[in-house]
Amino acid sequence: MNERLGNRLKERRTELGLTQSQLADLCLVSRKTINTVENGVFVPSTLLALKLASALGLNVEQLFWIEE
Amino acid sequence: MSYRPRPDFDQPDAESVQRSRRMLPWMIPLIFLQQGSLIFGHSERLTQIVGTAAWACVSLLMLWIFLGLPMRWLSERDQAIINDERSRMVRGDAASWGIAALILIGCGMMVARLWVQLNAGIAIYGLVNGALIVAVCRYGWLNRSEPDEDE
Repeated sequence: MNERLGNRLKERRTELGLTQSQLADLCLVSRKTINTVENGVFVPSTLLALKLASALGLNVEQLFWIEE
Repeated sequence: MSYRPRPDFDQPDAESVQRSRRMLPWMIPLIFLQQGSLIFGHSERLTQIVGTAAWACVSLLMLWIFLGLPMRWLSERDQAIINDERSRMVRGDAASWGIAALILIGCGMMVARLWVQLNAGIAIYGLVNGALIVAVCRYGWLNRSEPDEDE
């Protein structure tokens, strides 16, 4: 099984005119965390996924999906 | 880079703590080398006591970092950022490398003692420092360089 978490974090963030630092401040995480989630290097917990979705005004399912 | 007003200019923030932690892989081996020369390179009692106390302080400081104990002098925001879930994952990964190194070095020493008489102090120093250096290097590797915005 080779599943990967896809996301449209960067796309949505830039739509809203937010920088990684600003989004990181909104979610109380480091900018590196945002960067690694965007690049698919780090898979966020449900809690962080919900925080990110809330900060970006989307549902979690709209922001993250499973890629096979 | 976003603008964030800071009322506490004299206090370190999450970013400066993270920056200084990225320096650990370069600093810790040098500190241990220097402390080792103090502890084992001098016969004077006082020098050995000072060297051992300094070594214990550095080792406990590393333990503090790997256990993720709270840094209460920082603001709640900075504490949350330093202890965010990626940081916890990185610390856990580094700690597991440290434990693996501890076991491997320990096994090596147990085999070596069949042929060589080991000094207890040097063995403990090598065991603890070997594990800490591996953990710190792994920590530094996972935290290598702050990416550019949108990189």
